[in-house]
Amino acid sequence: MYTEQQIKEQRKAKIISKIITYSFLTIMALVILIPFYWMIITSLKSAVEIEQFPPTLFPRQIVAYNYVEALERANLLRYFANTLIVSGFSTLFGTFFSIFVAYALSRLQFKGKEIIFTILLATMMIPGEMMVITNYITVSNFGWVDSGFGSRVTNGPYYAMIFPFMISIFHIYLLRQTFKQVPNELYYAAKVDGTSDWKYLWKVMVPLAKPSIITIIILKLMGAWNSYIWPNLVASENYRLITNGLRAAFSNSDTGRTEFQLQMAATVMVTLPLFIVFIFFRKYIMRGVSRSGIKG
Amino acid sequence: MDIKLSNLTKIFKDSKGRETRAVDHFDTLIPNGKLIGLLGPSGCGKSTTLYMIAGLLTPTEGRIFFGDDDVTDLTPEKRGIGLVFQNYALYPHMTVRQNIMFPLENLKIEKEEAKIMTEDMARLVGIHELLDRKPAQLSGGQQQRVAIARALVKKPKVLLLDEPLSNLDARLRLQTREEIKRIQKETGITTIFVTHDQEEAMSISDEIVVMNFGLEQQKGEPQVVYDQPNNQFVAKFLGTPPIGLFNGTVKGNKLYIGESAILTNKILEKTQGEVIVGIRPEGYTPSESGALEISYSFIESIGRDISLVSNHPESLTPSFRLIVADTIKVTPNSMKFNVKKEKCFVFNKDNGERVL
Amino acid sequence: MLEKKKDYHAWLYLLIPLALLSLFTFFPLFKTILISFDNGYNKWQDAFSFAFSLDSYKAIFNYPPFLRTLWNTVLIVFISVPLSTIVALLIAVALNSIKPLQKIFQSIFFLPYVTNTIAIGMVFAVLFNLHTGLINGVLQLFGVEKLNWINSNDGFFMGSYFRRMFVLQLYLLWHTLAFKILVFIGGLQNISKQYYDAAKVDSAPKTRVFTKITVPLLSPLIAFILITSFIGAFKTYDAVIGIFGADWNKTADIQTIVGFVYQQLKTDSVDSYSKGAAAAVVLFVIILAFTAINLYVSKKRVHY
Repeated sequence: MYTEQQIKEQRKAKIISKIITYSFLTIMALVILIPFYWMIITSLKSAVEIEQFPPTLFPRQIVAYNYVEALERANLLRYFANTLIVSGFSTLFGTFFSIFVAYALSRLQFKGKEIIFTILLATMMIPGEMMVITNYITVSNFGWVDSGFGSRVTNGPYYAMIFPFMISIFHIYLLRQTFKQVPNELYYAAKVDGTSDWKYLWKVMVPLAKPSIITIIILKLMGAWNSYIWPNLVASENYRLITNGLRAAFSNSDTGRTEFQLQMAATVMVTLPLFIVFIFFRKYIMRGVSRSGIKG
Repeated sequence: MDIKLSNLTKIFKDSKGRETRAVDHFDTLIPNGKLIGLLGPSGCGKSTTLYMIAGLLTPTEGRIFFGDDDVTDLTPEKRGIGLVFQNYALYPHMTVRQNIMFPLENLKIEKEEAKIMTEDMARLVGIHELLDRKPAQLSGGQQQRVAIARALVKKPKVLLLDEPLSNLDARLRLQTREEIKRIQKETGITTIFVTHDQEEAMSISDEIVVMNFGLEQQKGEPQVVYDQPNNQFVAKFLGTPPIGLFNGTVKGNKLYIGESAILTNKILEKTQGEVIVGIRPEGYTPSESGALEISYSFIESIGRDISLVSNHPESLTPSFRLIVADTIKVTPNSMKFNVKKEKCFVFNKDNGERVL
Repeated sequence: MLEKKKDYHAWLYLLIPLALLSLFTFFPLFKTILISFDNGYNKWQDAFSFAFSLDSYKAIFNYPPFLRTLWNTVLIVFISVPLSTIVALLIAVALNSIKPLQKIFQSIFFLPYVTNTIAIGMVFAVLFNLHTGLINGVLQLFGVEKLNWINSNDGFFMGSYFRRMFVLQLYLLWHTLAFKILVFIGGLQNISKQYYDAAKVDSAPKTRVFTKITVPLLSPLIAFILITSFIGAFKTYDAVIGIFGADWNKTADIQTIVGFVYQQLKTDSVDSYSKGAAAAVVLFVIILAFTAINLYVSKKRVHY
């Protein structure tokens, strides 16, 4: 029967299409995963095995000591500490200030509200690179930069890394959108009950906006963790962040060659914390990303 | 081409594993070339059935036949059906012309021929001047006609319509249902439409299939189903104003509502005891010596007739309506009536089956 | 209404953040522009010479290293962005069409987003290493001799520009897929299933569904992704550092505009800040132009 033949063909076509789809996705997934895999196994190989060609696909001997050596060689613990301090304070203050500004822009009434918002919106599109030169001059003038003889202000480099880029206009914008979704009636009801603006912010707005705030905190932490160039410019050895420590630290003075196994071990240690954050907070990160996309 | 649904069943499982039987061993035969109304309340399984005929849902059990071909496993692409969605589903980024031509292009029809077919179809449904507009620029009624054109242009074996009139305003509804009838007559395609509005179904269908609980309750010409309902549900579902239902008793060959004997019939002897009595609103004859005394709360004048909003102790509902010609003199608050025996039905109290 | 209150306390909320923004965002914006127009700006004394001219701009546009970075950046933008957008779209559509394993694949594809650009750049450098890299190892299986992708002055010849650019583009493609895939999936899920049902009834084959329905309905989102990715790609910097290192002398031929700007901060010449500022302003103008395009396109955007 004609229909029977049609049904057979159609079944075949369906199976082929499923095979193609899954193969495509699997290949792409492997492409994505290969660098991670390579990073991990390289970090566990011995210095000798690194030199081998063709390279082995799995370490013959697992050398976990690489991690210890990497930590020592590149002063990584110090860098981790610095990064924690900088990202911690930056996130803390930055989040608070984002909340304040977003609150003012979304809920409070004041003269010049529209102007401020428009200015901020316009500033969002300015690339950070425009500010770098002047900011460098500014923080130098403040004495926060160590140009070889120590900074004039103690712990200056920390200030230099925390303050300039603490406020993120994008986060303010995100939060404002979220705050705006809180119905006006809640505010009026609270006012009638004699609630101050400050109390309303912390008792109503913030709890309702918790998911967005968590997203912002995580995005901020990720940003601070990954920042490279600014710390590189303003921070001297002891104040550097982990990203700075990675590149140059592992050249073996004998051979002039980079000791990849140590470098990769350091890379794993740098990547791991974010990875852990990803596992636990995946929803928040992905939502923050797609919000910024769909909002346009 | 006939459509045969055999033992059709669809079970939905939700995320918690709970099952819903949307369609339950549904058997029916849709005759060729007719306009069939699939009628029933929300959730009775009619839309699910329609989508299974289209191939967009797969039956859990049962088979579907187009003529002699078993199409149950065939994908929608190959079934040669036209479907008018409840929300029309017109491709918003294409013009009307492109929307209508889309199925023809997919069927690899020559561009020139496709153009002609499109124009002819547009003329048939009356949207010829709108061919270069986009759906967003059209009114609801116009969009629907485009949807119909798109469904028909490929000369399908069967045309399916999902609640075609429910999105239209009242004025447009009357107009559109005539259009549907006209188009079906001109093309002669077997057409099935799904609706919950019994008046719509009754007015244009060649045959109606009444569904409830995923099953066919009754099938036939509208007037026949109205006059001879198989069971209490069908009787209640068809007819505006709805049928009045009462608790009644059968003693011997007489039917009683309360103490009043309203009907005598030998068939009644087979069913004794408590029954449900249904009387159509138009089934009352006012009479001085009427068997049934009914009091009413107020009079609704609906133009050609008078409708009395009435109540009775044995009535199953708080009130029901009764229609009399406007020439009748209405005595205040209550009147006596005789019951027209062709408008009176007796149902088995347990299973609702009609006895008389 | 409640407006008659003192609105001063709103400013309390804004005081510190606005002060910081003014100091580190608004003020620098103007000052950088001013510096770019003042070739005599003395960077060691932070003193303007007030001799405003276009000299700095003339200087950089006659300066081969800058022009080189301009060209590199343009290549990066107009090759890696369209490519990664297309690949991301295909992956998103494929992901959207499967149910089992979808969540797992989605998480895998999103991994690159949470990583440090420089760190993984270094991993790519290891992968493409001349002597010990995996890529060369695989190539050897096909009988191809070791290729110098990214190494420099290793006793061997320096890797060709083409190969270095290739690795860079590949890395950027790899790294930027995650964001795009996520946004596309969101967009795909916003398309009403009814259109796909209608397409089935209209006998549309899968390829036509993709080209005639999915892509057109997704086109506003595709345009948005393209333009924002262009803007992001113009600012490429970390990727270059990650793969090739921060030594300007070794990497000048593959650096980007941003790399040039930062390099000016380290150079000794007295007018380097002016040159850097000029380059930064050039970058700013380019990004502004693309932002304007984005705004224009989104105004015309019809939401289906």
